[in-house]
Amino acid sequence: MSVLSDPKGYWADLTRAEQGVLAFVLGFALLLLLGLLTGGIGPSYFLFLVGLAGMYALLSFGLNAQWGYSGLINFSVAAFFGIGAYGTALASASSSPLAGGIPPIVGLFVALALAGILALCIGIPTLRLRADYLAIASIGLAEVVRIIILNEGWLTNGSAGVRGIPGFFEGWPVLETFPETMPGVIVSFLPGPDIVLGTPFWRALLNVALVLTLVGICYLVLRRVHRSPWGRVLRTIRSDEDAARALGKNTYSYKMQAFVLGSLIMALAGVFYAHLNLYVGPGDLNPITTFYVWVAVILGGSGSNRGALFGGFVIVAIQQGTRFLNEFAWIPVDVAPLRLLLIGVLIVLLMRFRPQGVLPPQRELIWSSVVDDAPSQPDRGVRGSKAGESDD
Amino acid sequence: MVLDLLANGLVYSSIIVLGSIGLSLVYSIADFANFAHGDTMTVGAYSALVTFGAVGGLGGAILGLPFGFFVALVVGIAMAAVVAVVTEKVVYEGLDVGSIGLLITSIGIAFVYRAVIQMGFSSDFTRYDIQALRPIEALLPYGVRVTEHDVAIFVSAVVLVTGLHVLLQYTDLGRKMRAMADNPDLARVSGIRTDRVKLWTWVIGAGLAGAGGVFLGLYGRLGPRMGFDLLLVIFAAVILGGIGSVYGAMLGGVLIGMVNQLTPLLSGVGALVPMVPDGWGIGLEYANALAFLIMVVVLLFRPTGIAGDGEGT
Repeated sequence: MSVLSDPKGYWADLTRAEQGVLAFVLGFALLLLLGLLTGGIGPSYFLFLVGLAGMYALLSFGLNAQWGYSGLINFSVAAFFGIGAYGTALASASSSPLAGGIPPIVGLFVALALAGILALCIGIPTLRLRADYLAIASIGLAEVVRIIILNEGWLTNGSAGVRGIPGFFEGWPVLETFPETMPGVIVSFLPGPDIVLGTPFWRALLNVALVLTLVGICYLVLRRVHRSPWGRVLRTIRSDEDAARALGKNTYSYKMQAFVLGSLIMALAGVFYAHLNLYVGPGDLNPITTFYVWVAVILGGSGSNRGALFGGFVIVAIQQGTRFLNEFAWIPVDVAPLRLLLIGVLIVLLMRFRPQGVLPPQRELIWSSVVDDAPSQPDRGVRGSKAGESDD
Repeated sequence: MVLDLLANGLVYSSIIVLGSIGLSLVYSIADFANFAHGDTMTVGAYSALVTFGAVGGLGGAILGLPFGFFVALVVGIAMAAVVAVVTEKVVYEGLDVGSIGLLITSIGIAFVYRAVIQMGFSSDFTRYDIQALRPIEALLPYGVRVTEHDVAIFVSAVVLVTGLHVLLQYTDLGRKMRAMADNPDLARVSGIRTDRVKLWTWVIGAGLAGAGGVFLGLYGRLGPRMGFDLLLVIFAAVILGGIGSVYGAMLGGVLIGMVNQLTPLLSGVGALVPMVPDGWGIGLEYANALAFLIMVVVLLFRPTGIAGDGEGT
């Protein structure tokens, strides 16, 4: 039973929350499309938003592998994001105080290696700690990383940040020159002003293709991982670590593996960000990034990858949507605090009314092959499962 | 130089201690790591700013501070306490999400506080309308540069902490609070009205945080992020002292405050340690990083802190 062959049945089979989310996403997409058609949103900016949403989805995936799967309260998301961005930036940027000029694809692996090392450096001391201590210790260590990047100018350019980062496809055959060689297309049959699809548009399209590839790979890997025996052990650790230990599992080692896996995915988001923004600075490591990602994961439903996707989407909507409020002069408040207020209120309301998130993982406590009558749509059915409730 | 750093360390410690006591109290009695505690300090600071703007240079002055400032201090303490109690009543009380859920909720609360302050006062830095003082002349020959305001911060903190000590040791409420921090279930079955004690804990903890925030504004300047920036340092102090122990929080606060201000002594460390270039050292910019590293090391080797009771693990 798929969406195309039986849309009605598909709809009826969804939970209320899933119906709500689907309706919301469709409505939002329609709104964006309308904005595109009437010229309210430039097509390159639209693609930039998609790229940003993909980036937050990656970050949420990473945190989900740590918190949602294995219950690790990692508050150092910003550090891994930053180390990923700085890793590739320092390798490839023209203004890099270190090597510079290395192809971005190598920078990607430099970033991943750095993130792996950082994950071990943070994980080895902290993963044995009790849940709330882990939160405090990891945010402290993330701040240490930020302070080092801010102050070691010989290594990172200090507060000036790194400029002159090339696009990700620099040095690739065909793709490097793709945006320039593509013809400019002018769309003029629409209402509103003509839309010009020039070089920036094609460049943005490439970026979106990149992030969608990354998101797709991570989603498939994580889904596979989640249903593997390895993922089952992680879930056991999350719900009852003593039980996992009694079964002879080395829980510390499993937690470390999940921590490193999640951190690498976060670094991937950082790599994408560096080549999207073409500039990284110490401000990108501010703890606020960590909290944004936490909101995304909790909102989506801890442990649920679809939820992480949705959460990332909402975060970008809040982040970028509040920008538009600048255009309404009659709103007396500044946008930055309004965004902060929205995020704060969202956290409180979520914890108050739906601590398990909007799209909690619904089959995680059941052996998947038992209920897998439709492998193409694996994560639905089985209502009222309480999995993913945030409790230690 | 060392004397000067020690003196400044004492002043800075006073602020950290005021912050850490409340964090520790709430940690032990409400049972979660309150990430909104730093922003409660900010609330106190800005309430005092408004009050001081209204009452101005009322009457005479003590230690270079007009009486109006002490009125503002009291209002700052009161506002922080009121805001915390309202938050407890409206948000925390109805939640059933465990200590981790409460931790995450408190992050949201912190954002709300900060956003509201930022809306009212913009994100720019500001100061109390008090003349900055020159260092006290009599102490300059010893190389100590502290102003009368610094002395006022230290003295006020000592008065407040002594008051808390008297409250904890010699009053009925204090005994109940200690009982509840030790063992909430036992306290409840022995007839202590725990929800009332919990409310008083919020009042005292947030009130002290408010005082800390007012002094933090006097020590440096006011900004919407001032409390949040200090929060992790306060966490370091609380963990060093032992979570849940008020006296541990005082001790941890003094130690972390001192380490923070004494960091410049490490700027020549490169010359002493082999394998490290001579010019290398740990400057003041790493003061906070040092506090966080101490925090992690304490968590690893003595999670109950130096004054903890063995319940921390």
